[in-house]
Amino acid sequence: MLKTFLALSLCMVCIGNAAAAESEREPFDDRYCTTCHGTDGRGNEGVQAPRLAGMESWYLRRQLENFRGDIRGVHSEDKEGIAMRPMATKLTDESIDDIIGWISSWEYMPTEVTIEGGDPARGRGLYSGCAVCHGANAEGNESLGAPALAGQNDWYLVTQLKNFLAGYRGAHPDDTYGAQMRTMVNTLRNEAGVLNVVSYINTLSR
Amino acid sequence: MSKQVTRREFLNLLSAAGGTAAALKAGSALGLLPHTAQAASMDLLAANPESRKVAILGAGISGLTVAYELSKVGYECTILESSHRPGGRIFTVRHGDLIDEIGNRQYCEFDDEPHMYFNAGAARIPSTHRNLLAYCKELNIDLEIFINENKTSYVQDPALLGGKPIRNIDYTTHTRGFMAELLAKSLSAGEMDQPFTDSEAETLMSLIRSFGSLNEDNLYKGSLRAGYAAGGFLEHGVQKDIIAFRDLLKTQMGGRLLDANEGDTGPILFQAVGGMDKIIEGFTNHVGHQIRYRSMVNAVEVKDDGVDISYEQDGARHLLQADFCFNCIPSHLMTGIPNNFPTQYMNALKYIRRGTAYKAAFQAKERFWEKEDIYGGISWMNNPSNQIWYPTAGMHKQKGILLGAYDYGDGELHTAMTHEQRIEAHLTDGENIHPNYRNQVEKPITIAWHRMNHMLGCSARWQRDRSGWSHEEEELYRALQQPVNGRHYMIGDQVSMHSAWQESAVMSAQWAMADLNRRLQA
Repeated sequence: MLKTFLALSLCMVCIGNAAAAESEREPFDDRYCTTCHGTDGRGNEGVQAPRLAGMESWYLRRQLENFRGDIRGVHSEDKEGIAMRPMATKLTDESIDDIIGWISSWEYMPTEVTIEGGDPARGRGLYSGCAVCHGANAEGNESLGAPALAGQNDWYLVTQLKNFLAGYRGAHPDDTYGAQMRTMVNTLRNEAGVLNVVSYINTLSR
Repeated sequence: MSKQVTRREFLNLLSAAGGTAAALKAGSALGLLPHTAQAASMDLLAANPESRKVAILGAGISGLTVAYELSKVGYECTILESSHRPGGRIFTVRHGDLIDEIGNRQYCEFDDEPHMYFNAGAARIPSTHRNLLAYCKELNIDLEIFINENKTSYVQDPALLGGKPIRNIDYTTHTRGFMAELLAKSLSAGEMDQPFTDSEAETLMSLIRSFGSLNEDNLYKGSLRAGYAAGGFLEHGVQKDIIAFRDLLKTQMGGRLLDANEGDTGPILFQAVGGMDKIIEGFTNHVGHQIRYRSMVNAVEVKDDGVDISYEQDGARHLLQADFCFNCIPSHLMTGIPNNFPTQYMNALKYIRRGTAYKAAFQAKERFWEKEDIYGGISWMNNPSNQIWYPTAGMHKQKGILLGAYDYGDGELHTAMTHEQRIEAHLTDGENIHPNYRNQVEKPITIAWHRMNHMLGCSARWQRDRSGWSHEEEELYRALQQPVNGRHYMIGDQVSMHSAWQESAVMSAQWAMADLNRRLQA
C-alpha cells in the first residue's frame, strides 16, 4: 500500500515537473501573416507576398484551405505558392477562423502602381472577358467565387495570371475555380496580354 | 577534348608566378600590404541632452552593438524586437527552446546540459574578425578554439571508391603527393635553366618534395602523413595503401575540401564557450532592459527633426519618437513596412535577395565518432546534407550534438520538405559515413532560415553574378549605407560587402555610429 502510494506520488511529481516545464516554454500563435504580407497585410514585394487587407473572407478561406489541402502551391514552378503552402499546412480550422477575423480588422489602403510596359487601352478590351465574373470595376463577385482584383498588388496579379496561363496554378483536379480561371485566362494569350490587362485593372479605383 | 598543357607552357606559368612574387616583395617594402590593426575604438561624442533618443529596430548583433556603444555615451536607447528573443541569426538552440520556423514550429528536446547546444546560425569566429573579438574581450565572453578542419573526419562520395568513406587525411595526403610528383616531373633538371636560378630551383624542388611527401626520386609512394595501417608506437609503423590518383580524381569534392580551411574559415577559428549566443548575452547584460520583445514595426517615418516609429505590441499600436534610428530589419521585410525612404534607398532594399541557408542537428546518444578518433571537425559528403559537424564542446562526455546537414549555398531543397522528410534525408545521407547513424541519433531539429519567423532569410545576397559586384550593385550598396536625412541608418551584415559574418554586422553598426558622430561634430 505504502509502495503504491509512493509510486503514485512520484508519478504525480513527474507530471507536475513536466507541466511546469511545458508552461515555461515560449508561447506562440498562428498569426504569422504580417511577417511576409507586411504591415496590416498590405503586401510585400520584397518576398512577393500579396495584399491581404481588403481581401474577401470567403476568398481567403478558400485559398487557405486549398493551400492546406495541397491543392494550391504544389506545382514545382509555382515558387510563391510553394513558399506559402507550408505556412498553411498545419493550420487548424480554428486558426483559419482566427486569421480571417484578424485580417478583416485591417484597414484597406490603396496599392502602388509598380508594373511598366502594359497598355491599359488594350487591357480594357481584354478585361471585358474578366468582367463577367470579377465585375466591371474588378470589385469581385462572391456568388461566382471571383475575388476583387482592383486594389491588389499589380506585381502579384501579373505573377498569378502568368501562373494560370502556364498551368502552374489551377491545374489540380480539385481546384474547381482554378480550372475555370485557366480556361478564361487563355484570352490573354501571353505575357503582353497579362501586362495590358493588369495595367487596365490599375486604372480601376477601389 | 581537353587540351594538354605543354611543358613549355607550364614553365611560362611558373615564370609568371615568379613575376608575382617580385611584385609582392616590392609592395611589402612600400607598405602596400595590409598589416594588422587594432579594432576600431568608437570614441563617440557624449549625447546632446536635447537630442539623445535612439530607436533601434532589431535586437540582432548590429542593433545590440549600437545600443551598447550609444548607451555608454549617454543616449537613451529603445530596441524593438519583433520576435521573442535577441540575437537574430546568432541563435543557439538548447533544451526547451522554440524554433519559430513558419510551418515547422519545433521545441528543442535535447538533454538539458551545458554542452548540449546547437549554433543554428553563426558558429565560427575567425581570428581576424577583430572588432567582434574586441567586444568578446570587453564583455568577458569565454572563447575556445573551434575545430573546423579535422584530418580524421571523413570524405564520402558515391563516385569515389564505390562510395566508401575515406579519411580526410587520406584524400589530402595522396592528392598532394600526386600533384607534387607531377610538378616535380615538370621541373626536371633539364628545363630548370629558364625561369629560376639554380638556388631558387633547388629551393622550389625541396618545397615540392615537402608539399607532397615525395621520396628521393621525386616520386610519391605513399606517406606516413596519412597515418599508420598498423603499429607506429611499440612496433614499426606500417604505411597505409595508396589510393590511386585516378580514383581520387573521380570525386569533384577536392575543391571544397581544400577551400574549406582557407580564408574566413581557415585557422584559427573560435566559438563562444557554451554557445554563440553567449556573445548576445554579453551585450544584453548591459542593454537587455532596453529591448521590447514581440514588438513589430508597422511604419517608419523620417522627419526633419527625428524618426517616428509605429509598432505593435500586445495587440496595441504604439508610437516611438526618436532623434535617431538604427534599423537592422531584414531588407526584404523592410520593403513591406510603410516608410518614406528615398527611391534609391528603396531600390536598394528591393534589390537584395534573401539567403536560403539551412541547418539540421541531432542529439547523439553516444559520442560514437570519438571511437573513430574524431574529435570535432567536419565530415564532407557529396549529397544534399553536405556536412556532418562533430561538436567541439563536451569531449568525452556521454552525448553530444551533431550538425546533420548544412546547406549554405541553396537550402531550397530541404526547405521545401516537411520536417519528417528532412530528417529522413539526413539520416539516409549520414548512413553513407556512419552505417549505424540512424540508431545512434535522436531528437532532431531542422532550421530553414528562409522560413524563420521575423527573418525569412539568411544572409543578404547582393551579387547577381558570382564574379563580383556590378557597378549598379555597388551604387545601391553605397546608397543604402548612407543615412536618410542624417537620422536613419540601415545596419546589419546586409549593409556590408561580406554578409553572413557577425564581424560585418558589427562593422556596419560601427560605420553608422562613426558617420553620425562626424555629422554631429560638423
